[in-house]
Amino acid sequence: MMPGAVMMPAGPEKVTAARGAISLSHITRIFAGSIPAVDHIDLEIQAGEFFTLLGPSGCGKTTLLRMIAGFETPDEGRIVISGREMQDVPAHQRAVNTVFQSYALFPHLNVEQNIGFGLRMRGVRKPERKKRVDAMMELLQIGPFAARNAGQLSGGQRQRVALARALVNEPEVVLLDEPLSALDAKLRAELQIELLRMQKRLGMTFIFVTHDQHEALVMSDRIGVMSNGRLQQVGPVLDVYEKPRNVFVAEFLGLSNIWAIEPLGGGMAAAPIGVLKIAAVIGVARMAMIRPEKIWIYNDTHAPQGRENVFPGTVREAIYMGASTQYRIELGGGGFILALDTNNQAAERSWRPGEAVAVELKPENIMLVEA
Amino acid sequence: MNAVPRRIRRVLAGISLPVYLLLYAPLSVIAIFSFAPSLGHPGPNLAAYGMLLNDPEVLAALRRSLTLAIGSAVLGTMLGTLMGFGLSRFRPAKGGGFWVGTLPSLIIYLPIIMPSLVFGISELIFFNFVHEYTGLLSAGLLTMGIAHVTFQAPYVALVVYARLAGLDPNLFEASQDLYANAVKSFVFLTIPVVRPALIGGFLLAITLSIDDFTISFFTAGPGSVTLPIYIYSAIARKGSSPEINALGSLMIATVIGVALLYYFVTRHRERSTRIPAVA
Repeated sequence: MMPGAVMMPAGPEKVTAARGAISLSHITRIFAGSIPAVDHIDLEIQAGEFFTLLGPSGCGKTTLLRMIAGFETPDEGRIVISGREMQDVPAHQRAVNTVFQSYALFPHLNVEQNIGFGLRMRGVRKPERKKRVDAMMELLQIGPFAARNAGQLSGGQRQRVALARALVNEPEVVLLDEPLSALDAKLRAELQIELLRMQKRLGMTFIFVTHDQHEALVMSDRIGVMSNGRLQQVGPVLDVYEKPRNVFVAEFLGLSNIWAIEPLGGGMAAAPIGVLKIAAVIGVARMAMIRPEKIWIYNDTHAPQGRENVFPGTVREAIYMGASTQYRIELGGGGFILALDTNNQAAERSWRPGEAVAVELKPENIMLVEA
Repeated sequence: MNAVPRRIRRVLAGISLPVYLLLYAPLSVIAIFSFAPSLGHPGPNLAAYGMLLNDPEVLAALRRSLTLAIGSAVLGTMLGTLMGFGLSRFRPAKGGGFWVGTLPSLIIYLPIIMPSLVFGISELIFFNFVHEYTGLLSAGLLTMGIAHVTFQAPYVALVVYARLAGLDPNLFEASQDLYANAVKSFVFLTIPVVRPALIGGFLLAITLSIDDFTISFFTAGPGSVTLPIYIYSAIARKGSSPEINALGSLMIATVIGVALLYYFVTRHRERSTRIPAVA
C-alpha cells in the first residue's frame, strides 16, 4: 500500500458531485503473491446511470465492485461516492447496497424481515419500517411471500427479495453482482426488463456486473469491458459494440471477423482474404474487423459489378438460429469469413453448404482495432 | 434408493437387523433386568429404583455428575464456540495456510482421536505435577472439570465449525452492506444462525461429560465420585445388581431424552434455515 496515495484529501470540486455519482481513480488491488486483480482503474459513473462492468470470469470486475461496496480495500487509488471520499468509510456506513450473486438472504429471517434488515440496523422505527417494506414488496410483487422463509422461495422470487432488500434502503448506489446468472433464460429475460424499469423509475445509480454480453447490451446505459484487471473500453453500448477499441472487446462483445492488415495507401490495405478498401483513416492501425451481420451475401450470379470488397466464395456451414442464419463461407482467395443473415424472406434467401456465393464488405463497415 | 435391486435390498436388510440387535440388545437387557425380582420382591417390580433413589451415596454421585456436566459443558461450549469461529475464519479454503489453518485444526481435533486412557493418564500426571509445586489443583471436581472441558471443547468446535462452514460467506458481508456494524452483525446474524449448533454442542458436551469414565477415573479425587465411577466401584465390589441396572437404565433414558430434546429444539429451525443451492 502506498500511504501517500491514500491520504490525498478530497478536492473541493468533489463536494458538489451529484448524489449517486461515483469516481474511481487509479484503483488497484493486488492479492498476495499474484498479479493485480484490479490494475489502475479510472472510471467516472454518472448519477442515475445504469453502468455495466462486462468481462470474463477472473477479470477483476467483482473485486472492483467489492471495493465500491467496502468489502475490500484498494491497495492504491481512491473511491469517491456522491462527493465523499470512501477511504475510511466501512461498508456499513456506505450508502451503497449490494445484490449478491448468491442472493445471501438471511436464513433465520422471513422475506419481510430480510427486506427490513437494513432499515432495522439503521434504527428506523417499526411502523415506518413496515410501511416501506410493504411498499417495496408491493412494487416487486412479493407481498404474498412476506411470511415465507428464504428456503421456501424459487430462484426468481429469491432474486426479487434480494433486490427489494437493497432498494428499500434507498441507497445512492446499487451494486449487482451477476444477480441473474443462476436463473433460467426466460426468467432472466423477464427480470432484466424488470430490473431496468425499476432502475429508471427509482433513478438510483446501478452498477451491474456480468459476463453475459447479451445482458450487458440489453440493460446498460454504458458498458465498461474489463480484462486482466484493466478497463479495455468504456462507452455507450452502441459505441462499444459498433466501434470496439481492440481485438479483445471486438471478440468478447458479439461475433466478429478480424484480420491483420498491411496498409497499401489510398485507403487500401492487404488482408489475408484479399485487398480491402477501408473508409476509415488507416493510420498506424494494423488490425481490421467487421461484424458478421454487416456482410452482404449474394448468389454468385447476382454479385454486384464494379463495387469494392466483393469476394466470391462457397458456403461451408450454415447454422440456422431461428431469426437468423450464421454462415461460414470459404473465400476464393483463401480464408474463411463469418456472415449473419436475417431470415426475413424464408427459404429462397437462405444458402446451403456447397453453394457458390459472393460476399460484400462495405468499406464504411470495416473498423480498425488495436491488437 | 429405487435404483437398488430388490435382492440387494433384502441382503442389506438382513445385515442391518443383526447390527441393530447387537447395538440395542445390551441396553434392553439392562433395562429388563432393572425390574428383576430380588429378595423380598417377587415378580417384576420397581424396588431397585426405590432403593436407588433412597441411597444417599447414589444421590451424592448424581449431584456431582450433574454439577460437573453442566459446569464443564457451559465452559466447554464457550471455548469450543470460539475455536469453531477461529477454525472457520482461518480454514485453508479461505486463505489460512498451514500455520494458521491446518495446524491449529489438527491440534484442536487431537483430543478427539487421542485414546482416552492416554489422555486421562497424562492429565493425572500433569495435575499431580502442578499440585506438587504449587499446592493448587488437588484432585477433585475441579480437575475433573478441567479435563472434561478439554475433550468437550473440540467436539463443540467441530459442530460450530460445520455450521459456519455450511453458511454462505456473503451473509456476513450482506449484513455489513445493510448497515450492521461488527457488534450488530454478531447479535442479529451470527448468533441466530449458529444457535442450533450452540444448543447441539452444549447438549453433546453434557452427554459426553455424564458418560465419561476413563478420564474422570484418573482425574477424580477421593471426594469426587461421580455416577460412572460409583457404578464401576459398585460392580467391582459386588457385581451387577438390580440397583446398578436401574441406574444404567436411568442414564440411558436421560441420554435418549437429551437427544430427543436436541432434535425437537433444532428440527424446526434447521429445516427453515437451510437454503438449498439455486439450481
